[in-house]
Amino acid sequence: MLGFVARRLFYLVPVLIAVSLLTFLIASLLPGDLAYVILGDQATPEKVEALRHDMGLDQPIWWRYLSWLGQVVQGDFGRSFRTGQTVWQAVAERLPVSLELMLLAEIAGLAIGVPVAIACAVRSGGAFDRFMTGSAFGMLSVPTFLSAILLIYLFAVELRWLPATGYVPFEEDPAGNLRFFVLPALTLALAEWPGIMRVLRSDMIATLQEDYIALAKAKGLKASRILFVHALKPSSLTLITITGINIGRLIGGAVIVETIFALPGLGRLLVGAIYTRDLIILQGVVLFVAGGFVLMNFIVDMLYAVLDPRIRHGHA
Amino acid sequence: MKAISRSRAFARIFLGPAFGIALLAVPAHAQKPGGSITVGLELDIPGFDPLKVGVFDTAALTAAAALFDTLTYLDDKGLAQPKLALSWSHSDDFKTWTFKLRPGVKFHDGTPFNAEAAKANFDRQKDPANKCRCAFYIAGIRDVQAPDELTLVYNLNDPSVNLPAILTMPSSNFAIQSPAAWKAKGDEYNRNPVGTGPYILKSWTAGDRLVLEKNPDYWNKGKPYLDRIVLKPLPDAQSRFASLQSGEADIIWDDEYDPDNIQKAQKDPKMTLHTYVGSGAQVYAFNTKVAPFDDVRVRRALVMAIDRKKMSQAITNGLSRPASNPYGDGSWVKCKDDGALPTDAEKAKALIKEYGKPVEFKMIVTATARGRNVGQVMQQFWKQVGANMEIEQIDQATVVPRAFMRQFQLTPWRIVDLPDPDPQMYANFHTGSPVALANYSNPELDSLLEHARTTADQEKRVEDYCAISRHINQQAIWFWTFQNTYYAISSAKLKGLPKMYSGVVDVSNVWME
Repeated sequence: MLGFVARRLFYLVPVLIAVSLLTFLIASLLPGDLAYVILGDQATPEKVEALRHDMGLDQPIWWRYLSWLGQVVQGDFGRSFRTGQTVWQAVAERLPVSLELMLLAEIAGLAIGVPVAIACAVRSGGAFDRFMTGSAFGMLSVPTFLSAILLIYLFAVELRWLPATGYVPFEEDPAGNLRFFVLPALTLALAEWPGIMRVLRSDMIATLQEDYIALAKAKGLKASRILFVHALKPSSLTLITITGINIGRLIGGAVIVETIFALPGLGRLLVGAIYTRDLIILQGVVLFVAGGFVLMNFIVDMLYAVLDPRIRHGHA
Repeated sequence: MKAISRSRAFARIFLGPAFGIALLAVPAHAQKPGGSITVGLELDIPGFDPLKVGVFDTAALTAAAALFDTLTYLDDKGLAQPKLALSWSHSDDFKTWTFKLRPGVKFHDGTPFNAEAAKANFDRQKDPANKCRCAFYIAGIRDVQAPDELTLVYNLNDPSVNLPAILTMPSSNFAIQSPAAWKAKGDEYNRNPVGTGPYILKSWTAGDRLVLEKNPDYWNKGKPYLDRIVLKPLPDAQSRFASLQSGEADIIWDDEYDPDNIQKAQKDPKMTLHTYVGSGAQVYAFNTKVAPFDDVRVRRALVMAIDRKKMSQAITNGLSRPASNPYGDGSWVKCKDDGALPTDAEKAKALIKEYGKPVEFKMIVTATARGRNVGQVMQQFWKQVGANMEIEQIDQATVVPRAFMRQFQLTPWRIVDLPDPDPQMYANFHTGSPVALANYSNPELDSLLEHARTTADQEKRVEDYCAISRHINQQAIWFWTFQNTYYAISSAKLKGLPKMYSGVVDVSNVWME
């Protein structure tokens, strides 16, 4: 098991280097030189040259990448040229918001998706199954920015039950904090549950046709016990993969949702950094997010091994 | 400003009898102290240190107006009035201005405001070693001297007849900050600004909220009225408006590219739509040195082909106000005849025909939804008169260098709302200026621009500027599409918002009814 973990961890290094290199390249290819952004309407060619020199932008790209990487390895992710904040400070301020959003969205997605999937699998082909499969398909095609605005109009403007935008830290006001997160998390969950539901439903249908389920039924076990204990665990391997990948998708969704609901999370930081060409923050945040994503997949791999000993022992 | 206060009309008609007695007891415009408001802005504020952020954007300006003071402020007639400066005088050539400062004013950190402090603000921005982007906007000021505690002298490179008005904007250049604070805090100062203003920074959560609390020792006794102002970045226009509707925000910034909500607010009795039509305009410059724009007939034809009313309908539901000169309704320059060319597609067609050669060119548009939209509308107008325009989308930041290097045939530009036309008109049209984008040089135009900047008599300056407008319009070296119009929407209970000069939503003296 330890060897397995070490091997997996080792694979993370090239992945992170590849991600950082790609980010660096893409950021450099963005139109609009940083020097022009900083100088604005006084961007005369001479001033641009001087500033590019000061900021090291006239160095070859591989050199800039290596010197950045060198600092990163030493734990120095740099400072925003715009706000003077370090990447660490900026990420530390924003991370709790995004983590909470993703966690709540994932919980809500599972809370909707799993029961619906089980109910559908039990009577697959029935009226409920057909209705929910259809709705899931419909929900999959609704973009988050649309469902976000619809939810705001319904719950914030019309009913006045929940706030439209804003945020309060959990440690300041736990109940208030959750109130601010209901609509953003629900928006993301609405896009998440159809995937969860469809995957779990089809796995579950397959599992329910296995002989040992028939045996369990024959033994006279309670239907709920068969469903939740005997059928759910072996059906959830794909679900776990999906949940892991979803974390990555949620980061993408968070960019939009955090903007609409004005949540001060990593997504907003990322968008702001792109618009202002704040490359240091941009690279730092992307590296951080990529690291998180890779780590999440690592955890998923570990969970497989826990759930299915065949993987752990290397003869899957 | 046209503050469309439907709520008041509504109250008069429907609630008049019931509230009549209450209104007798309280004067209609009683400034009520206390309370707090939440302001919904578009952008995250990066900070307030000019060396770090360069210039303040619209969101930062709202905060700056509350945190800092300027030497002067602009009253609702557009005239400079005393703020941190009590009085001023100028030399005969308008190159030296002397300000007498208000005594006894203290920064929020307790250090005194005086001529030395004001000079330190200027020197820090001007110092070439600091490489401040903000230095561009004070390039015309040679130096600032502090001969005694309360006297501040501005020495200018070029004459400026209207300097006190120019100093009114709470920009990174003219908002006075505490030298002691920026020296003590270093890198941290950017997010811990200290001024003399009516509000003190209480707390700031990046991306979420900036909380300002009433300055109990403000020099202007009795002001401000509110105890607290919360500034929040709400980047999405729809949810920003929804936050106003649901009561989480009391006032929000908006612009004419959100016409649906602006028109909704106009009809809603619970809201007040604040509008200010400033000076300046959205403008475009032809490069007159390259074909086909080296021929005045082509330039005139293209300008006459644009139907601004239709265009306004297409891009902003008709909210955009057509501009026929670079000054706009917000400027004191009013022309009987600004020389604007008529909208006349037939004449435009005839001119293109007369030119004889095919008219094909590229126009730069910013790579944004707005830029594309505007470009496509113009493309259609021009197609109808026989000219083929190809849209070239480029990044906003790249527009500037392309313009400086004259690598364009037709480029968008902007003339922003400033209290005086001189700085921008001189830069945009005088021979030899780096932003005289049209590459057009004319001795008559030059002498008009020079005369306008050295004449104190406003009427004579108006004559000059109208002659300048006639010249530019007739030669069609630049053209203007729409005036700069600024919007804010508030709850109908919010009162006392001043004109939004330069688009600044200044909430530092508002109150809630």
